[in-house]
Amino acid sequence: MSDTLHIQHGVASHGHSGEPHVHHHKETFISKYIFSMDHKMIAKQFLVTGIIWAIIGGLFSVLFRLQLGFPDQSFPILETFFGRWAEGGKIKPEFYYALTTMHGTVLIFFVLTAGLSGTFANLLIPLQVGARDMASPFMNMLSYWMFFAASIVMLSSLFTQTGPAAGGWTVYPPLSALGLASQGSKSGMDLWIIAMTLFVASQLLGGLNYISTILNMRTKGMSMTRLPLTIWALLFTAILGVLSFPVLLSGLVLLMFDRHLGTSFYLSDIFVAGQALPNEGGSAILYQHLFWFLGHPEVYIIIMPTMGLASEILAINSRKPIFGYMAMIASLMAICVLAFLVWAHHMFVTGMNPFLGSVFVLLTLLIAIPSAIKVFNWITTIWRGNIRFTPGMLFAIGFVSIFISGGLTGIFLGNSTIDIHLHDTMFVIAHFHIVMGVSAFFGMFAGIYHWFPKMFGRYMNNTLGYIHFWVTIVCAYLIFWPMHYQGFAGMPRRYLDKSSWVSFGQFHSLDAMITVVTIIVFAVQLMFVFNYFYSMYKGRRVRTQNPWEATTLEWTTPIHPGHGNWDGEIPEVHRWAYDYGKDGRDFIPQTEPVGENESSH
Amino acid sequence: MEQTVTHNTKWWSGGKSPFNIEYGKIMMWYFLLSDSFTFGAFLISLGTVRFGLNYWPEPSIVFNTFPFAGHANLPLAFVSVMTFVLIISSVTMVLAVHAGHNRDRKGVEKYLLLTIIGGLIFLSCQAWEWTHLLTAKNPVLVGDHIEVMAQRNGFNPWGEIVLPQDVAPALAKTSPETLATLVHEQHLSHASHAELLQTPKDQLIQLLSNSEMVVRKPGPAAFGGFFYGITGFHGFHVSVGVILLIIMLIQTKMGVYDRRGHYLMIEKIGLYWHFVDLVWVFVFLCFYLV
Amino acid sequence: MSQHYDPTKDISPSAAYPEVSFAHHTDDATFKHRVKKTTLILTLLTIAELALGFTIYALHKGEPSHAALLLIKGVVCILTLAKAYYIVSVFMHLGDEIRNFIMTIVVPLLLFIWFIIAFLADGHSYKTMRNQYDRYFKESTTPSGHPVIPSDVHKFSSQKGQRQ
Repeated sequence: MSDTLHIQHGVASHGHSGEPHVHHHKETFISKYIFSMDHKMIAKQFLVTGIIWAIIGGLFSVLFRLQLGFPDQSFPILETFFGRWAEGGKIKPEFYYALTTMHGTVLIFFVLTAGLSGTFANLLIPLQVGARDMASPFMNMLSYWMFFAASIVMLSSLFTQTGPAAGGWTVYPPLSALGLASQGSKSGMDLWIIAMTLFVASQLLGGLNYISTILNMRTKGMSMTRLPLTIWALLFTAILGVLSFPVLLSGLVLLMFDRHLGTSFYLSDIFVAGQALPNEGGSAILYQHLFWFLGHPEVYIIIMPTMGLASEILAINSRKPIFGYMAMIASLMAICVLAFLVWAHHMFVTGMNPFLGSVFVLLTLLIAIPSAIKVFNWITTIWRGNIRFTPGMLFAIGFVSIFISGGLTGIFLGNSTIDIHLHDTMFVIAHFHIVMGVSAFFGMFAGIYHWFPKMFGRYMNNTLGYIHFWVTIVCAYLIFWPMHYQGFAGMPRRYLDKSSWVSFGQFHSLDAMITVVTIIVFAVQLMFVFNYFYSMYKGRRVRTQNPWEATTLEWTTPIHPGHGNWDGEIPEVHRWAYDYGKDGRDFIPQTEPVGENESSH
Repeated sequence: MEQTVTHNTKWWSGGKSPFNIEYGKIMMWYFLLSDSFTFGAFLISLGTVRFGLNYWPEPSIVFNTFPFAGHANLPLAFVSVMTFVLIISSVTMVLAVHAGHNRDRKGVEKYLLLTIIGGLIFLSCQAWEWTHLLTAKNPVLVGDHIEVMAQRNGFNPWGEIVLPQDVAPALAKTSPETLATLVHEQHLSHASHAELLQTPKDQLIQLLSNSEMVVRKPGPAAFGGFFYGITGFHGFHVSVGVILLIIMLIQTKMGVYDRRGHYLMIEKIGLYWHFVDLVWVFVFLCFYLV
Repeated sequence: MSQHYDPTKDISPSAAYPEVSFAHHTDDATFKHRVKKTTLILTLLTIAELALGFTIYALHKGEPSHAALLLIKGVVCILTLAKAYYIVSVFMHLGDEIRNFIMTIVVPLLLFIWFIIAFLADGHSYKTMRNQYDRYFKESTTPSGHPVIPSDVHKFSSQKGQRQ
C-alpha cells in the first residue's frame, strides 16, 4: 500500500476535478518524498523545515543572550564564526538587532505558524475528518513549496553584505522604510518583505485547503459536532489566517512602495542626517494598524492549534471525555472573533487616540473569558482522570500550566494604564514568550510525541522525552519568571547594553543566570531533535493499530497508511470523538454504531 | 430542484457537501473573501491617511479629461465609461457562465471573447488615464515661483488654489522656460513653443496674468501613491483575469470542457472576474466619487 | 456510488462531484430576464452616483456646507453597497447558494465594520492631534476657505475652445 497511489472516488473523496486516474501508480522518490501530494508527507515536510528553522531561531536567541547576560565579556569564538559582525568576540549593535529581529520572525512565522499548523493541519485534518486527502492536493503541495521558497529567501537574507532585516520582527517604518536609516533596513529588509509575501501566499493556499476540506469532505456521519477539537481549532486557525494575512500583505506592499517608489504612505516630516526628506503626509501609525490587524490574529494562529492538540491529548490520556465540548467550541469561536477586534492594544503608547485605546482595552479584556473557560475545561478534564503520563501528556499538562502563567500577565498589559508603565520592558518579553512562545512549543511537542507513531509507525524514546519535558519546563520558568521583575523595575527590552543605568546593576547576576539556563534549554531541544530523527529510523515499532486507545479516525488507518489513508471504504462515523470511560468501557471508537442501551452523553 | 430536497436535512452531517458546491468553487469564494481584505486594507489605508489630513483634492478636478477632447473640462466622464465597460464585461461573463451550464460551446466562446475585449478596453482606458496624469503639465506654486508638474507617486499638483494676488509675484520669479510652456499649454498664443521661448518674459507674464489660468499649491503627496498603487493593483487583477479568460477560451475551443463534461472552470474564473468588477465599484467610490 | 470514477463512462458533473447535486439550473427566459434587469439596475445606480458626483462638483464652486456634502457622500456610499449587493447576489450567484454558505461569506465581511471605524477614527484623531500640537502642519495644510473649484472654469474652457 505504501508505494501505490490509490485514490477512490467515493462520497468523501474527490481531490481532482475529474481527470482520469491511474489507480496503481508506481511512485518515484521525487513524487513520494519531494513533490509529494500526500498530505501526510507534506505534514512531515513542514515539520522538518520547521525544526531546522527552530534550531536557527533558537541559536540566535542563545547568541544575543550571551550579550545580555555577559555584556562585559568577549567570546573570541564568535569572531571565528561571524567575522566582522562580532569583532573582538563582542556582538556588534547591528548584529544584535539583526539577531533579535530574525529570532522573532523565524520563530513566529516560520516555526510556530508554518511549522505548527502546517504540520498538524496537514496531518490531522484528512485523517480525523475521514478524507482520502485534502480538497486540492496540488494546492497543498504548492503551499509547502511557497513556504520553502519563502524560507530560502529569508535564509539568503542572512548572508547579504548588510545583514538581514534588523528593525524588530514588526518592521515598523520609518526605520524599515528608509534604507538610509540603518544597515538592517537595506537589502535585508527587501528580502524580508519578499519572503513574507511568499509566506502569505503559502498560508493562503494552505488555509483555503484546510477550510474547504473540513467543511466539505467530512466522511459520512461526521457532523461538525462530532469533530475532534483539534479540527475545530485548526478550522478557526485557518479562518484567522485567510482573513488577516492579506492585510499584512497590503501593508507590506505599501511599505515596499515607500522604500523604492518614493511614495509617502508611512512617511512624513523625516530628517535623516540633518537632511529633510521630501516625503509628506503619511502616517507611521497606519502601518502599525495594518501590521497588528494581522499581528494580533497571528498570536492566535500560533496558540489555537496547540489548544486543539492539548484538548485531544488531555482527554485521551486521562481516559475521560473532554469537559464541556460545546463550550470549548464556543470559546474557540469567541477567541477567533475577538482576535480580529483587539489589534490596537499593541499600540497604546504610539500616539493612538486614547479614547479608541479604551475601547480596545475593553475588547481585549473580553478575551480573558473564553481563555478562562478553556483552561477550566482542561483542568476539569484531567480532574480525577485515570492519567497516563506519556511524554505527550506531560507536555499537554505543561502547556496548560504555562498558558495560565502567561495569560495572567496579559491582563496587566491589556490595561492601557498599566501598559504605559510596562510597555517595551522585559515584562512584555516575559508575557508573550510564555503565553505564545513556550506554551505553543509545549503544545507542539505534545502533538509530536503523541502523533509520532502515526507519522512514522514508531515511538519516540520515552526517557529522552521525560528528560526533555522536565528540563524544558523548569528552564522556561527560570528564564521568563525573573523577566517580570526586571520589567516592573523598568528595564527596557531591545537594549544592547544597560550598564549605564546604575539601578539595573542589581540584575547583572540574574541576567547571567538566564543566559546560562538558555544555553541548557537549547541543548535539551537539540536532544529532542536527536530523539526525533533517531526514532524515525530506530525507534520502537508500533505493533497495534491504535496504540493510545483513542477514539478518533486516524487510528483506524493502517499503521503505515498509504496515499488515500484507508485501504478499503472510508469508515462511517456514529458518535462524537470523546467516548472515554463510558458505560464501563474504556473507550468506544467513533466508528462503532451507537448501541441500543447506551447512555447518552 | 428535486435533488436539493434530499439535502435539506442535516447539512453538516458529513458525507456530502454541506453547501452543495464543489470544492473548487468554495475555495475560489474563500480566496475572493481573503482578497477583499487585501483591497479593503488598501482602501481603508487611503481613508485613514485622508482623514489625517486637512486637505484632500476633489476628484472632479483631478479626473476631468477625456481622450481626444483636449482640455475640455469633463469631470468624471471618462471614468464613467470605464465603469460601464467593466459592468458590461461582467454581464457577458454571466452569459458565458450560463452558456457553460447549458454546455453550449459556441455561446461560451462568443461571450468569453466579448468579456476579454471588455477587459482589454478597460485596461487601455486605464493606460490612457495613467499616461495623461503622468504627463500633464499643471502650474503649481513651488516655494516662491511656479513650476509645471505632473501627478506623480510622490507629488500631487492639486493643492489649494493660489489667489490671484499671490500669482502675480510668483510669475515674476518663474523661469522663462516654464512661462513659455504655460502659455503654450494654456493656448494663450498661436506661436510655437520654440517661438515662445524667444518671447520676452514680460510679454509672457502679461499673457498669463490676463488668462484664467488656475495655479495651485502642491497637494498631499499620498494622493498619487494611493491612486497609482490601488488602481495599479486592481489593473494587475484585471490583467490576470484577462490572461485566465484567454486560457479558458483556448481550452474551450480545444474542447477540454466538453470532454470533461462540465464548464465549472468557467464558473470559477467568472467569480474572479465579477470580483474584479466589484472591487472597481469600490475603487470608483473611494477615488472618483467621495 | 461507484468506487472508481471512470471519465469515459459518465461525464456529467454529478459524477465528478458526487457530493454535489447541481441544482442551480434555471430556464433560459427567466435567466435572461434577470440578467437584463440587474444590468439595468446597475446602470441606473451608476448614473445616480454620477449625478451625485456632479452635485458635489457644483457645490464646490460655492461654499458648501459640511453637512450637505457628508449627506451626499453617504448616499453615494449606500448606492455603491447596493451595486455590490446586486453584483454578488445575481452575477456571482451567491443569492442562489445555500443560506449557510452565504453566511460563511457575509459574516466575515462584518469585520470590516470595526476595521473601518477604528482606522478612520484613528486617522481623524491623528489630524486633530497634529492640528493641536503642530502649528506648522496646521498653517501649511488648512484650506483658507475659498472654493475648491474656480466657478469660472466653464467660461475658461469655452474661451479656450474659441482660441483653438
